[in-house]
Amino acid sequence: MATAFPIASLQRVLRALFIPALALLAALLAGAIVMILSGDDPLAAYSGLFQGAFGDGKGWARTIRKTVPFILTGLSVALAFKVSLFNIGASGQFVIGSVFAVAVGVNFEGLPAFIHLPLALIAGIVGGMLWGAIPGFLKVYTGAHEVIVTIMLNYVASLFAGWTVYAGGTQGQTPGPLWDRTAGAISETQDVLASAQIPWLFGPPYRVHYGIFIALAAAILIWWLIFKTPLGFEMRTVGHNMRAASYAGIRVNFTIILTMALAGGLAGLAGGIETLGLNHKFAPEFGGAVGFDGITVALLGQTHPFGVLLAAFMFGALDGGAATMQFESGVPADIIQIIQALVLAFVAAPLIIRMIFRLRQQTQEEAASAVSTSWGGS
Amino acid sequence: MKLSRITTLVIFLTTLALLLAACPAPAAVPAADTDAGAADSGAAGEFKVGLVTDVGRVNDRSFNQSAWEGVTASAEGLGLAEDDIKYIETQDAKDYADNIQQFVDAGYNVIVTVGFALGDATNVAAKENPDVFFIGVDQFQGETLPNVAGLIFNEDHSGYLAGVLAGSLSKTGTIAAVLGTDLVPPVVAFNEGYVAGAKSVNADINVISTYHPGEISQAFVDPEWGAATAKQALDQGADVIFGAGGITGNGALQEIATADGAGETVFCIGVDTDQWNTVPAAHPCLVSSAMKLITPGVVELVNMANDGAFPGGNYFGKADLAPFHDFDDMIPQELKDLLEETKAGLIDGSIDTGYGN
Repeated sequence: MATAFPIASLQRVLRALFIPALALLAALLAGAIVMILSGDDPLAAYSGLFQGAFGDGKGWARTIRKTVPFILTGLSVALAFKVSLFNIGASGQFVIGSVFAVAVGVNFEGLPAFIHLPLALIAGIVGGMLWGAIPGFLKVYTGAHEVIVTIMLNYVASLFAGWTVYAGGTQGQTPGPLWDRTAGAISETQDVLASAQIPWLFGPPYRVHYGIFIALAAAILIWWLIFKTPLGFEMRTVGHNMRAASYAGIRVNFTIILTMALAGGLAGLAGGIETLGLNHKFAPEFGGAVGFDGITVALLGQTHPFGVLLAAFMFGALDGGAATMQFESGVPADIIQIIQALVLAFVAAPLIIRMIFRLRQQTQEEAASAVSTSWGGS
Repeated sequence: MKLSRITTLVIFLTTLALLLAACPAPAAVPAADTDAGAADSGAAGEFKVGLVTDVGRVNDRSFNQSAWEGVTASAEGLGLAEDDIKYIETQDAKDYADNIQQFVDAGYNVIVTVGFALGDATNVAAKENPDVFFIGVDQFQGETLPNVAGLIFNEDHSGYLAGVLAGSLSKTGTIAAVLGTDLVPPVVAFNEGYVAGAKSVNADINVISTYHPGEISQAFVDPEWGAATAKQALDQGADVIFGAGGITGNGALQEIATADGAGETVFCIGVDTDQWNTVPAAHPCLVSSAMKLITPGVVELVNMANDGAFPGGNYFGKADLAPFHDFDDMIPQELKDLLEETKAGLIDGSIDTGYGN
């Protein structure tokens, strides 16, 4: 038993990785076909992509920098999936987290960094948690579906964020509270104070900050929460069968609200880290697109925290290498978005992958994998 | 058993990959050659021009495209090889610095960055690389760096010209403007100029100006809103409508093109580029466009960089109206003369649009 365990778990890991790996491969192949059809050279493109993502120090830096927010928004969506909740609101939670973090980051001059930076990060988490908790509350107390509410809150979030930095002053209108008065007609905040900036791990031109360690720690923490704590057990039970969980005495309503808040907190943390570590300010164009990619990352990662790490790294590499791919081969970087969308399609529809690669019918165990239960559970 | 199945699969996929790779082989070989050639010429110190777009495609029929046309035109004029000019299409606002850095690392001499959003990244890169010339399209320069030229425009001037045209054409005494967000200053400048221009020919004119109420990422890509707003303006009696706001404005132009009396009693005016070329669907009503002449501006600046006479700081491009195309016969000569006079007056400063005062 003791010796059999690692082998069995290794097999389990390999099996879990199988479909996502094939989905990625299928998406890359389909991308190659698209390139051939449009008269481009997929070999040159993919070699440019690889070079851009891993070719040199700057490439690795780009990949790591892109990976960080994917990890956290992916975790956000994955955590909600464990409770059969579909969090499409990571985008809005990311934006609110950015705004809250920057609001603390530009104020409180004179605070030492070891207080200011954590405070700003916590503000980002709290902002995201509040934004995530709203759909949780509405689901529990009004029955409003979290998919609809989170989508709508994304719009509210970006409009709210736009208002906070609105440069109305030049037209005699009331400017947003966070608008940088020295920015003239441009709608953006001032730079966050040095004491609230996440320090560089590798400074410019590499621009990799310590946020990567926060993201890795978050993945471990979420894994521990889901699989090693009573609360995580309750979450998973609610995710499998809400009614049974309720009969078993689990506080279903509390679990739903808490999960949505935690999912929001993760996405909010992503926004805080991007703002405090990389952009050093907030402007409307730093939107929350990365929140939508979190859905794909979570699915590609089979909604497992460590799977999310791998998937986020894959997406980070795709995005990190895109510009070099276009520079070297002339293939438009849009192709990367096509590939990422295809990954989502293939992962969300394992049947297609099984058909393409003529795999056997899925086993009972795999049938109970995260994606299917997350829809069937509620 | 299971392993052998996977092995078969791997072999199958590898074969497939090789087949795919083999297909475009003829294309692959010259591509590799040219890459090597580009690297060589970089070492030789030839003149190379790169362009980083704002988020979006290079053929956006707007700023990105006009700027890239400027780069290709100047390359032709200077006799540069096709490989000496390249562009990168930005996918995410966070990548501006990276994309600029790609060109710096590859030894480019001139880097054109398109859009005011790239302003910060451009100036940071310019300070780090004093030997590289930067052309910032639509980027106002607060401080003057010797190697950065901000190609900017007096939007209120071209808006003013559009206003004079609209005010003169209007029979109902009501004109309208369908605008992208007032979060972006040039849009406001267009409108203020437009209103002032219209009032200069008809002091009592009623101008219905409507800004898109949404956020920046929505305001320029909402043709439905543009069309609905244009429709509303028509219902309120407007007979000349200025569409200024990317695809949102294009939606307004297309709506007016299908309205009753389009091109006879109802007209539309486009923005930024000559929209006769970019929005063919608007031909029935499009009398002209309030242009920013980006392409010639980029050409001038690239040439100056090549001559070693690069002007740091703000560089004002020309504002003008696009040709009237099919409506040329309909525009009375007096109006054409008035527009020419107005243009001269705006340039020499004798006409003040009132914007920014």
